[in-house]
Amino acid sequence: MILFRAILLFFIFIAPLKADTIYNLIKIPNLEVYKIDTKNSLRYLYATKPFRLGINVKKNINCYNSDKKTLDKKYKIIKKNLDEYSLSFLKKINLKYIVLCENLSIAGINTAGIPNNKTRTLILDIKFNENHLERAIHHELFHIINDNYKELFNENIWKNLNKKNFEYSKCSTCSDNWNLELLNNKSGFFTEYAKSTASEDMAEVFSHLMFYKNEVYSNDPIIEKKILFIKKNVLKIDSTFKF
Amino acid sequence: MIAKIKISKSERIILIFLIILGVFTFTSLIILKNKCLFVKNYNPNDIKFDNPENIVILNAECGNVIIELYPNISPNAVKRLKKLIKLGAYDDAAFHRVIEGKLIQAGDLEFGRKENLDYGRVGSGKSGLGTIKSELDGKFKYERGTVGLARTFELDTEDSQFFIILQDEPLFEGEYTPVGKVLYGLEVLEKVKFVAQFHIVPRPDFINSFKMLN
Repeated sequence: MILFRAILLFFIFIAPLKADTIYNLIKIPNLEVYKIDTKNSLRYLYATKPFRLGINVKKNINCYNSDKKTLDKKYKIIKKNLDEYSLSFLKKINLKYIVLCENLSIAGINTAGIPNNKTRTLILDIKFNENHLERAIHHELFHIINDNYKELFNENIWKNLNKKNFEYSKCSTCSDNWNLELLNNKSGFFTEYAKSTASEDMAEVFSHLMFYKNEVYSNDPIIEKKILFIKKNVLKIDSTFKF
Repeated sequence: MIAKIKISKSERIILIFLIILGVFTFTSLIILKNKCLFVKNYNPNDIKFDNPENIVILNAECGNVIIELYPNISPNAVKRLKKLIKLGAYDDAAFHRVIEGKLIQAGDLEFGRKENLDYGRVGSGKSGLGTIKSELDGKFKYERGTVGLARTFELDTEDSQFFIILQDEPLFEGEYTPVGKVLYGLEVLEKVKFVAQFHIVPRPDFINSFKMLN
Protein backbone atom coordinates (compact mmCIF):
# COMPACT_ATOMS: atom_id res chain seq x y z
CA MET A 1 0.00 0.00 0.00
CA ILE A 2 2.82 2.37 0.90
CA LEU A 3 4.57 1.50 -2.36
CA PHE A 4 1.36 2.13 -4.30
CA ARG A 5 0.92 5.54 -2.65
CA ALA A 6 4.56 6.39 -3.36
CA ILE A 7 4.17 5.50 -7.04
CA LEU A 8 0.91 7.48 -7.23
CA LEU A 9 2.50 10.54 -5.64
CA PHE A 10 5.50 10.22 -7.96
CA PHE A 11 3.21 10.44 -10.99
CA ILE A 12 1.28 13.33 -9.47
CA PHE A 13 4.48 15.24 -8.89
CA ILE A 14 5.97 14.64 -12.30
CA ALA A 15 2.76 15.62 -14.12
CA PRO A 16 3.76 18.48 -16.41
CA LEU A 17 3.02 21.84 -14.90
CA LYS A 18 0.16 23.53 -16.74
CA ALA A 19 1.24 27.06 -16.03
CA ASP A 20 -0.31 28.08 -19.31
CA THR A 21 -3.12 30.49 -18.41
CA ILE A 22 -5.02 29.92 -21.65
CA TYR A 23 -4.88 26.16 -21.25
CA ASN A 24 -6.24 26.47 -17.73
CA LEU A 25 -9.13 28.56 -18.97
CA ILE A 26 -10.28 26.70 -22.07
CA LYS A 27 -8.30 23.45 -22.08
CA ILE A 28 -6.78 23.96 -25.50
CA PRO A 29 -2.99 23.72 -25.67
CA ASN A 30 -0.51 25.69 -27.79
CA LEU A 31 -2.45 28.95 -27.94
CA GLU A 32 -1.39 32.55 -27.53
CA VAL A 33 -3.28 35.80 -27.37
CA TYR A 34 -3.87 37.47 -30.73
CA LYS A 35 -6.14 40.27 -29.50
CA ILE A 36 -8.10 40.65 -26.29
CA ASP A 37 -9.04 44.31 -25.96
CA THR A 38 -11.95 44.19 -28.37
CA LYS A 39 -15.13 46.24 -28.24
CA ASN A 40 -17.37 43.25 -27.49
CA SER A 41 -14.73 41.63 -25.22
CA LEU A 42 -14.22 38.64 -27.49
CA ARG A 43 -10.77 37.23 -26.94
CA TYR A 44 -8.98 36.12 -30.08
CA LEU A 45 -6.36 33.42 -29.62
CA TYR A 46 -4.22 31.70 -32.22
CA ALA A 47 -2.45 28.38 -32.45
CA THR A 48 1.32 28.56 -32.17
CA LYS A 49 1.64 24.82 -32.84
CA PRO A 50 -0.79 22.14 -34.01
CA PHE A 51 -3.15 20.88 -31.33
CA ARG A 52 -5.36 17.88 -30.76
CA LEU A 53 -8.44 17.87 -28.62
CA GLY A 54 -10.89 15.28 -27.56
CA ILE A 55 -14.54 15.17 -26.93
CA ASN A 56 -14.86 12.58 -24.17
CA VAL A 57 -11.79 10.34 -24.38
CA LYS A 58 -11.01 10.34 -28.09
CA LYS A 59 -8.76 13.11 -29.30
CA ASN A 60 -10.31 13.48 -32.70
CA ILE A 61 -10.23 17.24 -33.20
CA ASN A 62 -7.15 18.54 -34.99
CA CYS A 63 -6.06 22.00 -36.00
CA TYR A 64 -2.81 23.56 -37.18
CA ASN A 65 -1.00 26.81 -36.65
CA SER A 66 -1.04 29.36 -39.42
CA ASP A 67 1.49 31.86 -40.75
CA LYS A 68 1.30 35.44 -39.55
CA LYS A 69 0.31 36.89 -42.91
CA THR A 70 -2.74 34.61 -43.22
CA LEU A 71 -3.60 35.18 -39.59
CA ASP A 72 -3.51 38.97 -39.93
CA LYS A 73 -5.60 38.88 -43.09
CA LYS A 74 -8.25 36.48 -41.82
CA TYR A 75 -8.45 38.07 -38.38
CA LYS A 76 -9.75 41.29 -39.97
CA ILE A 77 -12.49 39.38 -41.80
CA ILE A 78 -13.48 37.33 -38.77
CA LYS A 79 -13.47 40.31 -36.44
CA LYS A 80 -15.57 42.39 -38.83
CA ASN A 81 -18.25 39.69 -38.77
CA LEU A 82 -18.11 38.98 -35.04
CA ASP A 83 -18.21 42.69 -34.21
CA GLU A 84 -21.87 42.51 -35.18
CA TYR A 85 -22.57 40.80 -31.87
CA SER A 86 -22.75 42.95 -28.77
CA LEU A 87 -21.05 42.13 -25.49
CA SER A 88 -24.40 41.63 -23.76
CA PHE A 89 -25.56 39.20 -26.47
CA LEU A 90 -22.28 37.27 -26.35
CA LYS A 91 -22.64 36.98 -22.58
CA LYS A 92 -26.13 35.59 -23.00
CA ILE A 93 -24.98 32.97 -25.48
CA ASN A 94 -21.84 32.16 -23.53
CA LEU A 95 -19.18 32.99 -26.09
CA LYS A 96 -15.90 34.56 -25.09
CA TYR A 97 -12.96 32.92 -26.89
CA ILE A 98 -12.29 32.65 -30.62
CA VAL A 99 -9.49 30.28 -31.55
CA LEU A 100 -7.87 30.88 -34.93
CA CYS A 101 -6.12 27.98 -36.62
CA GLU A 102 -6.13 26.22 -39.97
CA ASN A 103 -7.19 22.88 -41.44
CA LEU A 104 -9.59 22.21 -38.61
CA SER A 105 -11.03 18.73 -38.65
CA ILE A 106 -13.12 16.47 -36.50
CA ALA A 107 -12.75 12.73 -36.96
CA GLY A 108 -10.84 13.47 -40.16
CA ILE A 109 -13.65 15.57 -41.67
CA ASN A 110 -12.79 19.20 -42.37
CA THR A 111 -15.05 21.76 -40.77
CA ALA A 112 -15.32 25.55 -40.66
CA GLY A 113 -15.69 25.73 -36.93
CA ILE A 114 -16.23 23.84 -33.72
CA PRO A 115 -18.27 25.54 -31.01
CA ASN A 116 -18.09 24.57 -27.36
CA ASN A 117 -20.49 26.39 -25.08
CA LYS A 118 -19.00 24.84 -21.93
CA THR A 119 -15.61 26.41 -22.57
CA ARG A 120 -17.27 29.45 -24.19
CA THR A 121 -15.07 28.85 -27.20
CA LEU A 122 -15.46 28.83 -30.95
CA ILE A 123 -12.58 27.32 -32.94
CA LEU A 124 -12.47 28.68 -36.50
CA ASP A 125 -10.61 27.35 -39.50
CA ILE A 126 -9.16 30.50 -41.03
CA LYS A 127 -8.35 28.66 -44.25
CA PHE A 128 -11.93 27.52 -44.77
CA ASN A 129 -13.31 28.08 -48.29
CA GLU A 130 -12.94 31.84 -48.85
CA ASN A 131 -16.29 32.11 -50.61
CA HIS A 132 -18.12 30.91 -47.54
CA LEU A 133 -15.87 31.83 -44.63
CA GLU A 134 -17.80 34.91 -43.52
CA ARG A 135 -21.15 33.19 -43.57
CA ALA A 136 -19.65 30.12 -41.90
CA ILE A 137 -18.63 32.29 -38.94
CA HIS A 138 -22.29 33.15 -38.30
CA HIS A 139 -23.29 29.57 -38.97
CA GLU A 140 -20.93 28.26 -36.28
CA LEU A 141 -21.94 30.99 -33.89
CA PHE A 142 -25.53 29.87 -34.26
CA HIS A 143 -24.57 26.44 -32.95
CA ILE A 144 -23.41 28.16 -29.75
CA ILE A 145 -26.77 29.94 -29.53
CA ASN A 146 -28.60 26.68 -30.17
CA ASP A 147 -26.57 24.75 -27.61
CA ASN A 148 -27.43 27.33 -24.96
CA TYR A 149 -31.11 27.69 -25.81
CA LYS A 150 -32.21 24.24 -26.94
CA GLU A 151 -35.73 24.86 -25.65
CA LEU A 152 -36.18 27.89 -27.93
CA PHE A 153 -34.96 26.16 -31.05
CA ASN A 154 -37.18 23.13 -30.79
CA GLU A 155 -36.33 20.74 -33.62
CA ASN A 156 -39.77 19.15 -33.77
CA ILE A 157 -41.42 22.51 -34.38
CA TRP A 158 -38.74 23.28 -36.95
CA LYS A 159 -39.19 19.98 -38.79
CA ASN A 160 -42.89 20.75 -39.20
CA LEU A 161 -42.00 23.83 -41.21
CA ASN A 162 -40.72 21.59 -44.02
CA LYS A 163 -42.74 19.80 -46.65
CA LYS A 164 -44.55 16.79 -45.20
CA ASN A 165 -42.53 14.09 -46.92
CA PHE A 166 -39.12 15.62 -46.18
CA GLU A 167 -36.69 13.96 -43.78
CA TYR A 168 -33.28 15.17 -42.67
CA SER A 169 -30.23 12.89 -42.75
CA LYS A 170 -29.28 11.13 -39.54
CA CYS A 171 -26.30 13.43 -38.93
CA SER A 172 -24.62 16.50 -40.40
CA THR A 173 -21.96 14.39 -42.13
CA CYS A 174 -24.24 11.54 -43.19
CA SER A 175 -25.30 13.33 -46.36
CA ASP A 176 -23.17 13.09 -49.51
CA ASN A 177 -23.94 16.64 -50.50
CA TRP A 178 -22.30 19.33 -48.35
CA ASN A 179 -22.68 22.07 -50.94
CA LEU A 180 -22.89 25.54 -49.41
CA GLU A 181 -23.95 27.34 -52.58
CA LEU A 182 -27.27 29.16 -52.46
CA LEU A 183 -30.17 27.12 -53.87
CA ASN A 184 -32.82 28.92 -55.83
CA ASN A 185 -35.44 26.29 -56.33
CA LYS A 186 -38.01 27.01 -53.61
CA SER A 187 -37.21 23.76 -51.87
CA GLY A 188 -37.41 25.32 -48.42
CA PHE A 189 -33.64 25.24 -47.91
CA PHE A 190 -30.91 27.78 -48.46
CA THR A 191 -28.28 25.18 -49.33
CA GLU A 192 -27.90 21.46 -49.86
CA TYR A 193 -26.03 21.29 -46.57
CA ALA A 194 -29.12 22.67 -44.80
CA LYS A 195 -30.86 19.41 -45.64
CA SER A 196 -28.50 17.44 -43.41
CA THR A 197 -30.03 18.09 -39.97
CA ALA A 198 -32.51 20.47 -38.36
CA SER A 199 -29.78 22.28 -36.40
CA GLU A 200 -27.64 22.71 -39.53
CA ASP A 201 -30.70 24.01 -41.36
CA MET A 202 -31.33 26.54 -38.59
CA ALA A 203 -27.66 27.56 -38.65
CA GLU A 204 -27.85 28.03 -42.42
CA VAL A 205 -30.93 30.26 -42.09
CA PHE A 206 -29.30 32.29 -39.33
CA SER A 207 -26.04 32.69 -41.23
CA HIS A 208 -27.83 33.82 -44.40
CA LEU A 209 -29.80 36.32 -42.35
CA MET A 210 -26.64 37.68 -40.75
CA PHE A 211 -24.55 37.72 -43.89
CA TYR A 212 -27.02 38.92 -46.54
CA LYS A 213 -29.06 41.05 -44.13
CA ASN A 214 -32.17 42.45 -45.83
CA GLU A 215 -31.11 41.12 -49.20
CA VAL A 216 -31.63 37.59 -48.01
CA TYR A 217 -33.43 35.45 -50.58
CA SER A 218 -36.93 34.90 -49.29
CA ASN A 219 -39.40 34.28 -52.06
CA ASP A 220 -39.94 30.81 -50.67
CA PRO A 221 -42.81 30.41 -48.18
CA ILE A 222 -41.01 27.72 -46.18
CA ILE A 223 -37.85 29.79 -45.91
CA GLU A 224 -39.93 32.78 -44.88
CA LYS A 225 -41.42 30.76 -42.04
CA LYS A 226 -37.97 29.59 -41.04
CA ILE A 227 -36.64 33.15 -41.04
CA LEU A 228 -39.50 34.24 -38.80
CA PHE A 229 -38.84 31.34 -36.43
CA ILE A 230 -35.15 32.20 -36.10
CA LYS A 231 -35.77 35.94 -35.72
CA LYS A 232 -38.51 35.46 -33.13
CA ASN A 233 -36.42 33.16 -30.97
CA VAL A 234 -33.15 35.08 -31.21
CA LEU A 235 -35.07 38.19 -30.13
CA LYS A 236 -36.32 36.24 -27.12
CA ILE A 237 -32.70 35.88 -26.05
CA ASP A 238 -31.91 39.54 -26.64
CA SER A 239 -34.66 41.94 -27.67
CA THR A 240 -32.07 44.47 -28.87
CA PHE A 241 -30.48 42.06 -31.33
CA LYS A 242 -30.07 43.48 -34.83
CA PHE A 243 -30.29 41.24 -37.88
CA MET B 1 66.57 25.07 19.78
CA ILE B 2 63.86 25.53 17.23
CA ALA B 3 64.63 28.13 14.68
CA LYS B 4 61.87 30.65 14.05
CA ILE B 5 60.70 30.34 10.45
CA LYS B 6 59.69 33.57 8.84
CA ILE B 7 56.55 33.45 6.68
CA SER B 8 57.29 34.22 3.07
CA LYS B 9 55.42 36.83 1.03
CA SER B 10 53.68 34.25 -1.19
CA GLU B 11 52.59 32.25 1.86
CA ARG B 12 51.13 35.41 3.37
CA ILE B 13 49.13 36.03 0.17
CA ILE B 14 47.78 32.46 0.17
CA LEU B 15 46.83 32.77 3.85
CA ILE B 16 44.97 36.05 3.26
CA PHE B 17 43.22 34.50 0.23
CA LEU B 18 42.13 31.49 2.29
CA ILE B 19 40.80 33.72 5.08
CA ILE B 20 38.83 35.85 2.56
CA LEU B 21 37.51 32.69 0.90
CA GLY B 22 36.42 31.30 4.26
CA VAL B 23 34.65 34.50 5.26
CA PHE B 24 32.94 34.71 1.85
CA THR B 25 31.79 31.08 2.00
CA PHE B 26 30.49 31.46 5.54
CA THR B 27 28.51 34.64 4.82
CA SER B 28 27.21 33.25 1.54
CA LEU B 29 25.91 30.19 3.32
CA ILE B 30 24.08 32.33 5.86
CA ILE B 31 22.61 34.55 3.14
CA LEU B 32 21.60 31.65 0.91
CA LYS B 33 20.06 29.72 3.74
CA ASN B 34 18.01 32.63 4.95
CA LYS B 35 15.68 33.34 2.03
CA CYS B 36 13.96 36.10 3.98
CA LEU B 37 17.10 38.11 4.70
CA PHE B 38 16.38 40.99 2.35
CA VAL B 39 12.60 40.88 2.55
CA LYS B 40 11.01 43.83 4.24
CA ASN B 41 8.48 42.89 6.89
CA TYR B 42 5.72 45.48 7.05
CA ASN B 43 4.10 46.22 10.38
CA PRO B 44 0.43 47.09 9.74
CA ASN B 45 0.34 49.16 12.93
CA ASP B 46 2.83 51.59 11.37
CA ILE B 47 0.62 52.22 8.35
CA LYS B 48 -2.50 54.35 8.11
CA PHE B 49 -5.27 52.83 5.99
CA ASP B 50 -8.29 54.54 4.42
CA ASN B 51 -10.54 51.50 4.93
CA PRO B 52 -9.12 49.64 7.94
CA GLU B 53 -12.22 47.41 8.13
CA ASN B 54 -11.24 45.91 4.78
CA ILE B 55 -7.59 45.30 5.57
CA VAL B 56 -6.41 41.76 6.21
CA ILE B 57 -2.93 40.55 7.16
CA LEU B 58 -1.56 37.29 5.83
CA ASN B 59 1.56 36.23 7.68
CA ALA B 60 3.94 33.85 5.89
CA GLU B 61 7.50 32.71 6.52
CA CYS B 62 9.12 35.93 5.32
CA GLY B 63 6.67 38.37 6.89
CA ASN B 64 3.36 40.13 6.47
CA VAL B 65 1.32 40.54 3.31
CA ILE B 66 -1.15 43.39 3.72
CA ILE B 67 -4.24 43.04 1.56
CA GLU B 68 -7.15 45.39 0.97
CA LEU B 69 -10.45 43.66 0.25
CA TYR B 70 -12.97 45.12 -2.20
CA PRO B 71 -16.52 44.51 -0.91
CA ASN B 72 -17.91 46.99 -3.44
CA ILE B 73 -16.69 44.85 -6.31
CA SER B 74 -17.35 41.34 -4.98
CA PRO B 75 -19.55 41.58 -1.86
CA ASN B 76 -20.28 37.87 -1.50
CA ALA B 77 -16.71 36.75 -2.08
CA VAL B 78 -15.36 39.28 0.42
CA LYS B 79 -18.00 38.24 2.94
CA ARG B 80 -16.91 34.60 2.56
CA LEU B 81 -13.22 35.44 2.88
CA LYS B 82 -13.79 37.61 5.95
CA LYS B 83 -15.87 34.90 7.58
CA LEU B 84 -13.13 32.30 7.12
CA ILE B 85 -10.43 34.73 8.25
CA LYS B 86 -12.35 35.55 11.43
CA LEU B 87 -12.69 31.81 12.11
CA GLY B 88 -8.92 31.43 11.76
CA ALA B 89 -9.60 28.84 9.09
CA TYR B 90 -6.61 29.77 6.94
CA ASP B 91 -4.00 29.40 9.68
CA ASP B 92 -1.62 26.56 8.73
CA ALA B 93 -3.10 26.23 5.23
CA ALA B 94 -0.55 25.36 2.56
CA PHE B 95 0.48 27.45 -0.43
CA HIS B 96 -0.18 24.30 -2.39
CA ARG B 97 0.02 25.66 -5.93
CA VAL B 98 2.85 28.04 -6.70
CA ILE B 99 3.97 28.99 -10.20
CA GLU B 100 7.19 30.96 -10.11
CA GLY B 101 6.69 34.63 -10.80
CA LYS B 102 3.11 34.04 -11.83
CA LEU B 103 0.72 32.92 -9.15
CA ILE B 104 0.38 31.43 -5.71
CA GLN B 105 -2.70 29.60 -4.51
CA ALA B 106 -3.76 28.59 -1.03
CA GLY B 107 -6.84 27.99 1.08
CA ASP B 108 -7.70 24.32 0.67
CA LEU B 109 -9.12 23.86 4.15
CA GLU B 110 -9.89 20.19 3.70
CA PHE B 111 -6.77 18.65 2.16
CA GLY B 112 -4.23 21.47 2.41
CA ARG B 113 -3.66 21.97 6.12
CA LYS B 114 -0.36 21.36 7.85
CA GLU B 115 -1.73 18.60 10.06
CA ASN B 116 -3.46 16.65 7.29
CA LEU B 117 -1.88 17.59 3.98
CA ASP B 118 -3.09 15.18 1.31
CA TYR B 119 -0.93 15.51 -1.80
CA GLY B 120 -3.31 13.36 -3.80
CA ARG B 121 -6.30 15.62 -3.23
CA VAL B 122 -4.94 19.05 -2.29
CA GLY B 123 -6.60 21.70 -4.41
CA SER B 124 -9.95 19.93 -4.46
CA GLY B 125 -10.93 20.50 -0.84
CA LYS B 126 -13.96 22.38 0.44
CA SER B 127 -14.61 24.69 3.36
CA GLY B 128 -17.90 23.11 4.36
CA LEU B 129 -19.72 26.40 3.80
CA GLY B 130 -20.76 25.56 0.25
CA THR B 131 -19.89 27.28 -3.00
CA ILE B 132 -20.73 30.86 -3.90
CA LYS B 133 -21.60 32.51 -7.18
CA SER B 134 -18.89 34.05 -9.35
CA GLU B 135 -18.92 37.85 -9.28
CA LEU B 136 -17.61 38.91 -12.66
CA ASP B 137 -19.75 41.82 -13.77
CA GLY B 138 -17.63 44.73 -12.58
CA LYS B 139 -14.75 46.02 -14.67
CA PHE B 140 -11.67 44.95 -12.80
CA LYS B 141 -8.07 44.85 -13.97
CA TYR B 142 -6.09 41.82 -12.91
CA GLU B 143 -2.82 43.54 -12.15
CA ARG B 144 0.13 42.19 -10.18
CA GLY B 145 -0.90 41.68 -6.58
CA THR B 146 -4.58 41.05 -7.29
CA VAL B 147 -6.25 38.51 -5.04
CA GLY B 148 -8.97 36.37 -6.60
CA LEU B 149 -11.09 33.44 -5.60
CA ALA B 150 -10.14 30.16 -7.23
CA ARG B 151 -12.81 27.95 -8.76
CA THR B 152 -13.15 24.70 -10.66
CA PHE B 153 -13.53 24.71 -14.44
CA GLU B 154 -17.17 25.71 -13.90
CA LEU B 155 -18.30 29.18 -12.85
CA ASP B 156 -20.12 29.61 -9.50
CA THR B 157 -17.90 27.08 -7.74
CA GLU B 158 -15.87 29.49 -5.59
CA ASP B 159 -15.39 28.41 -1.99
CA SER B 160 -12.35 29.06 0.22
CA GLN B 161 -9.35 28.80 -2.10
CA PHE B 162 -7.79 32.02 -3.27
CA PHE B 163 -4.86 33.02 -5.42
CA ILE B 164 -2.60 36.04 -5.66
CA ILE B 165 -1.01 36.91 -9.00
CA LEU B 166 2.62 37.95 -9.23
CA GLN B 167 2.30 39.41 -12.72
CA ASP B 168 -0.45 41.16 -14.69
CA GLU B 169 -2.98 38.65 -16.03
CA PRO B 170 -5.45 40.36 -18.40
CA LEU B 171 -6.94 36.97 -19.34
CA PHE B 172 -8.19 36.56 -15.77
CA GLU B 173 -10.50 39.57 -16.18
CA GLY B 174 -14.08 38.44 -16.26
CA GLU B 175 -13.01 34.89 -15.47
CA TYR B 176 -12.22 34.90 -11.76
CA THR B 177 -13.90 36.74 -8.92
CA PRO B 178 -11.58 39.47 -7.62
CA VAL B 179 -11.55 40.00 -3.86
CA GLY B 180 -8.77 42.49 -3.26
CA LYS B 181 -5.23 43.54 -3.85
CA VAL B 182 -1.92 43.31 -2.00
CA LEU B 183 -0.94 46.75 -0.72
CA TYR B 184 2.35 45.77 0.93
CA GLY B 185 4.46 42.63 1.07
CA LEU B 186 4.32 41.11 -2.41
CA GLU B 187 8.01 40.30 -1.99
CA VAL B 188 7.01 37.99 0.89
CA LEU B 189 4.93 35.99 -1.57
CA GLU B 190 7.76 35.87 -4.09
CA LYS B 191 9.75 33.92 -1.50
CA VAL B 192 7.08 31.24 -1.06
CA LYS B 193 8.42 27.84 -1.99
CA PHE B 194 7.85 26.61 -5.53
CA VAL B 195 9.21 23.65 -7.43
CA ALA B 196 9.54 24.07 -11.17
CA GLN B 197 7.76 21.38 -13.19
CA PHE B 198 5.77 20.19 -10.18
CA HIS B 199 2.03 20.62 -10.26
CA ILE B 200 1.69 20.47 -6.49
CA VAL B 201 4.41 21.86 -4.26
CA PRO B 202 5.94 19.02 -2.23
CA ARG B 203 6.55 19.99 1.41
CA PRO B 204 5.02 23.43 0.76
CA ASP B 205 5.21 26.63 2.77
CA PHE B 206 2.23 27.43 4.97
CA ILE B 207 0.24 30.48 5.99
CA ASN B 208 1.20 31.20 9.59
CA SER B 209 -1.86 33.32 10.20
CA PHE B 210 -4.49 35.25 8.27
CA LYS B 211 -6.22 37.95 10.32
CA MET B 212 -8.34 41.05 10.04
CA LEU B 213 -6.49 44.26 10.87
CA ASN B 214 -9.10 45.17 13.47
